[in-house]
Amino acid sequence: MKPVALSHVLKSPIARAVLALAGMLILGSVFHADGAFFRWTTHRDMLRQLSVYGILGCGMTLVIVTGGIDLAVSSVLAACAVGFSLLTIHQEMNPWLAIALVLLGGAGMGAVSGTLVGRFKIQPFVVTLAAMVLLRGLAKHLSGGQKISTYIAASDRSVPLPDIFERIDARILGDNLAIVTVIFGVCVAASAFLLRRTRFGRYLYATGGNLEAARLSGVPVVRTLVLAYAISGFFAAVAGICQAAQEQQGDPETGMGYELSAIAIVVIGGTNLAGGRGGMGLTFVGALTIGYLQKILSINAVGESSRLMLTGAIIVCAVFLQRQS
Amino acid sequence: MNNHPNLATFETTQTPAPRWRRRPAWTLAPLAWMALAGGALVHCKNEPPAPGGSSAQATGSAASVSAASPAAKGAAKHKGTPEDPFVVGMSQCNLGEPWRVQMNDDVRKAAEKHPNLKIVFKDAQNDSLVQRGQLEEFVNQGVDAILISPKEAAPLTEPVAKAFRTGIPVIVLDRALLKEDYTTFIGADNVKIGREAGKWVAETLGGKGTVVELKGLMTSVPGQDRHRGFIEGLDTKAHPGIKVVFEADMQWLEPNARKEMESALATQPKIDVVYAHNDPGAHGAYLAAKQVGREKSMKFVGIDALPHEGVQYVKDGILSVTFQYPTGGAEAVATTLKALAGENVPKKIVLPTRVFTRDNVAAGGQEIP
Repeated sequence: MKPVALSHVLKSPIARAVLALAGMLILGSVFHADGAFFRWTTHRDMLRQLSVYGILGCGMTLVIVTGGIDLAVSSVLAACAVGFSLLTIHQEMNPWLAIALVLLGGAGMGAVSGTLVGRFKIQPFVVTLAAMVLLRGLAKHLSGGQKISTYIAASDRSVPLPDIFERIDARILGDNLAIVTVIFGVCVAASAFLLRRTRFGRYLYATGGNLEAARLSGVPVVRTLVLAYAISGFFAAVAGICQAAQEQQGDPETGMGYELSAIAIVVIGGTNLAGGRGGMGLTFVGALTIGYLQKILSINAVGESSRLMLTGAIIVCAVFLQRQS
Repeated sequence: MNNHPNLATFETTQTPAPRWRRRPAWTLAPLAWMALAGGALVHCKNEPPAPGGSSAQATGSAASVSAASPAAKGAAKHKGTPEDPFVVGMSQCNLGEPWRVQMNDDVRKAAEKHPNLKIVFKDAQNDSLVQRGQLEEFVNQGVDAILISPKEAAPLTEPVAKAFRTGIPVIVLDRALLKEDYTTFIGADNVKIGREAGKWVAETLGGKGTVVELKGLMTSVPGQDRHRGFIEGLDTKAHPGIKVVFEADMQWLEPNARKEMESALATQPKIDVVYAHNDPGAHGAYLAAKQVGREKSMKFVGIDALPHEGVQYVKDGILSVTFQYPTGGAEAVATTLKALAGENVPKKIVLPTRVFTRDNVAAGGQEIP
């Protein structure tokens, strides 16, 4: 009767996501690269590396639950990384004020997409595709096409790197936990709380489940959609600040293609792209799966071609597994 | 979305309105856009040619060149004065890479010294077909010379040859083409630069040590050349004590370089030199090593030496050395002027590289012939 029991367990998306992660851990134990996989530092680094994708994935989950998609997150990330670097390095603004401004800016960018989707009923794919191009342009415009670093070309001088950059990129708990990972954890907890414990979370599921039904039963769908995209923009701004801190500069080209990684994380986690189903816990497990896959390929110094093929194949397998419901 | 709520209310209250009026006002936005864009174009034609700048100006300045071209054909003798400057079209394959932004800057700076020269910049946004279109536009507009930094050899060889056959001098920058139907090729030698980096590492290590190589995108020719040259220069046959213990493709990107370096640090207890195919890669590797406190025990080698990037990293003590991959912007302008004056120009100009170390960076580096 074992096969029956197994297939019963596999009915739950959580079980399947955890199974995928367990498979990844077994893969890592087999290809451990001279024991590197068994060292805590490898896992610590992996957690830091997936944090930026993961933070984007948090906002992406909320949007995908509404049946939408946010392709603009990578450009919001770049625009915010550039904006944050300009304000703190070049303008020498108080870092906390700069962070507040950048987060507000990111949420604002998301809110514009949300308004176009909710109020004007334009397809999310189209709106955020346009926003992706537009905001990448904004990032390049703000930075003049150059990386915003401690060297200021206009006056041919260098300024010191503000403390905030190294503070965000630091580690705590005896060098065992990156601040960026903590930020990722907070984002996961916050969006899980939003989804599971608030009225707004129920509105998100209702909107994604059946927009018309939700509207007729009194769900403020426009407001819900605007807010969902605004939160996605907000998280992308958080990711942008983390990215800038880790690179110690604001690169207008940074984060290209991250929106696809974020979508992959959400989908591997088992959140339905059609909306209405899914959750944060799943996204977190999805992020770990992708993170471990990339780490295993990296420590074993696998070539680029094999890496792309393996990553693609594993995403297909994971999604295939998730579709068997 | 025909059943938009606004539409229903509009129809019940204003039935006699003409058909186009029955749409909500915002659907007319595209029309307004077109009207605005048209107005801007007409406006541009009447304006004196604006100095070429970012890609955003490309369409505007394109219009101004076409307005000037009849004069160019009629009075070719008077060309090349500050009142009627030579118009040179510059097609850059993309402006995403800082190095290419620098090349445009170098061209602009060199051209500013010559008031009889006006450069129109265009950004092909990493698309060979867009770049081919830009070449055709330049020819149609009757520019006096063309500078092109092509994206790829195969799709652009014929378009460049076509432009060249109309009698316009064409100067090809950085990436070579398949045929020699152009005036001059100006570029640096990635194999040579990689070889110099390899030699520097072999000498610095004194014939013994471990090396990590962070490669650029290995499907790109510069990545392949910088790798091939490095292995030649390192010459592990002559120096069996030197080992490349870890290599990875970081696709020219700093965040990737940092991730790969963390894997190298996790698997390799001893690393003496990190060779990255570009300066951002070396910088990312440095940040990874610094976080585990191992940056002092290794040396970081980069390539490109942009003034605000690699050279600055050497000044800051982050990189031990970087090798310049010159843009050739100044040489391009000088060669263009020569070609326009009817002088003979060489078919190929190979730019020398410069090495920047902590000792010579203040003096502006040292040329390697």
